[in-house]
Amino acid sequence: MAKVTLTNVTKRFGDVVAVNNANLEIKDKEFLILVGPSGCGKTTTLRMVAGLEEITEGTIEIGDTVVNDVPPKDRDIAMVFQNYALYPHMDVYNNMAFGLKLRKFPKEEIDRRVNEAAEILGIKNLLDRKPKQLSGGQRQRVALGRAIVREPKVFLMDEPLSNLDAKLRVQMRTELSKLHDRLQTTMIYVTHDQVEAMTMGDRIVVMRDGLIQQVDSPLNLYNNPVNMFVAGFIGSPAMNFLDAKLVKEGETYYLEGNGDFKIAIPADKVATNPEIKSYVGKDVVFGIRPEDLEDAAVVEKPVTDDNSYMATVEVVEPMGSEIYLYLTANEHSMIARVDSHSTAKVGDNVKLYVNTSNLHVFDAETELAIL
Amino acid sequence: MPLTLKDIARMAGVAESTVSRAINNKPGVGEETRKKIMEIVRQYNYQPNQLARGLAIKETRMLALIVADLSPADYQIIKSIEAYANEQGYNCLICNTDNNLQKEEAYLQLLSSRRVDGAVIIGGDLANINIINTALNKNGLMVLVNCLAEELLIPTVLVDNAQGGYLAASHLLQQGLKKIAIVMGSSKEFLESEKLAGYLQALAEYGLEVEERYILETDGSREGGYEGFIRLLEQGDLPEAFFVTRDILAVGLIDAIKMGGYLIPEDFSIVGYGESIISSVINPPLTVVAEPLEELGRYAAKYIIEVINGRNPEEMIKVLEPVLKIGESSVSRTE
Repeated sequence: MAKVTLTNVTKRFGDVVAVNNANLEIKDKEFLILVGPSGCGKTTTLRMVAGLEEITEGTIEIGDTVVNDVPPKDRDIAMVFQNYALYPHMDVYNNMAFGLKLRKFPKEEIDRRVNEAAEILGIKNLLDRKPKQLSGGQRQRVALGRAIVREPKVFLMDEPLSNLDAKLRVQMRTELSKLHDRLQTTMIYVTHDQVEAMTMGDRIVVMRDGLIQQVDSPLNLYNNPVNMFVAGFIGSPAMNFLDAKLVKEGETYYLEGNGDFKIAIPADKVATNPEIKSYVGKDVVFGIRPEDLEDAAVVEKPVTDDNSYMATVEVVEPMGSEIYLYLTANEHSMIARVDSHSTAKVGDNVKLYVNTSNLHVFDAETELAIL
Repeated sequence: MPLTLKDIARMAGVAESTVSRAINNKPGVGEETRKKIMEIVRQYNYQPNQLARGLAIKETRMLALIVADLSPADYQIIKSIEAYANEQGYNCLICNTDNNLQKEEAYLQLLSSRRVDGAVIIGGDLANINIINTALNKNGLMVLVNCLAEELLIPTVLVDNAQGGYLAASHLLQQGLKKIAIVMGSSKEFLESEKLAGYLQALAEYGLEVEERYILETDGSREGGYEGFIRLLEQGDLPEAFFVTRDILAVGLIDAIKMGGYLIPEDFSIVGYGESIISSVINPPLTVVAEPLEELGRYAAKYIIEVINGRNPEEMIKVLEPVLKIGESSVSRTE
């Protein structure tokens, strides 16, 4: 069993609280991603699991053992960072094996581990090559192999792909996910890149200012963010936020902008989130993802005054399969990912269709999701 | 009154900042001006006030040389680091940890708390978690010497010991010797396994089969060397030459050879490893694989000063090759 449990974990550096009362249970064999902007506490959290940072308060367990006072070398973890050393005078075999050799593992055991890791990583035919004869991706695999041969209970990875070019990074993301499937080992992975987080993990922990904001599956995080930070951090282009007031007319609840939109909230959404009713007359934030805004001229759904509003096109960015429209409506700016058939041009006043079943509403003060 | 930067500036007819740049070997000074300034510096034996300088730029101009277990070879490396560092205006603090993690942690604290500008970690085989942790921190400016790191890329200077084993065996093979034994410590030790790998590579290049009986693993002591020879003698199939991977092993081996009434190099050619006081007193003078310790130290000092000044060394991992120093113990019997 190699679940990892953080209970009320806090880390302070002097007066600065780097991680604030973190509670997290990472399941055995799970691929968990810690994501957040620089300084959010994700790396500090990882380093506390590794034993590189002392814990100010709380406990960390690996398996069923509290490891607060267990030295890093006895925690049965392997770390992978973005900058790894491949020794130019050693072949791939030795670049993977030297740690085991230096720890005086028996030769047969080293052979078994290196060959197994090379097999898993698809580099068995490269074992006698020197690093300079390898491509960037192959080198990265050797670095991973060095961690794999340690057969750790938990892999800790701190932005291991951030030094790679964009193409290789995409390729290695897939490879790391496959590797996790094959190894069936707990992996904790830190990144600041939300795309990396969304495409790789079983679950994602979003952090900000030392606080865990939300722990969820990638899809749930995307569809049901708990607050405006998560909503804005996950997804690219980011979710649009428009100041609004919640108003009720008859039995219908509306999000009303300052004269630029009046969008009806679907009755079923109100029914499942009745607490929204208490916000009538109050300031809220209307959140809508760019793909849930369409050019009404090309959409095949019924467009009404309740699910559309007018906006002016400021910039048109054709992306091939779709078009990004940068628009303004009154004092609001927004991005819409519209169908490539849209003919909207800069300066046009277009009608935007809102996919209201995917709209979000946030408390303007607490920034917490209401809907 | 000691000479100040202001005095030099006045004498050279340039601004104080130009003098400072010239003395600190920073760009932005013309070659002629630099020469003129350095001439004044030499003439008046100008010594920058390190304390004032440290206060001004928050530098200590101090390096910690953290040694895992001070050996005669480390001593050579340290001397070389210190010489280069002094030339560049740095002083060195020598910290021997005796492979004690608490001591090492305390010395690494010098770095984390900025009481030294950088550290050179010498030996210890594998960078442990203390070192990795320090290197991950903002102030953790360090260079590793003869020490490998599994997790992180830290600027490193190393000697290729496999190449050393290769050189030793190749030298013997080039002289027409074919039956070459290796007398070594445990092959479980990384350095020893590297030397063995080099020896095996040389044999393979000469198309020679590996004779398992000629690979003598010992406890690495003088007695081990002695007993190694006795073992071969009892087997009744003596080699023509020996590659001995440690100086102290060579002492024991040569004792046994001499006790048996054999002659070196007439009966057996021998190549040892490491240019040390021990190997220097062996008679006849031993042919050895010599590690470039002076160069190793110079690179380490150059690298750490570059790192402190925010520059990456040209090669993050510098691998130096040992050289063969031919004595009288390996002269071909056919000559």
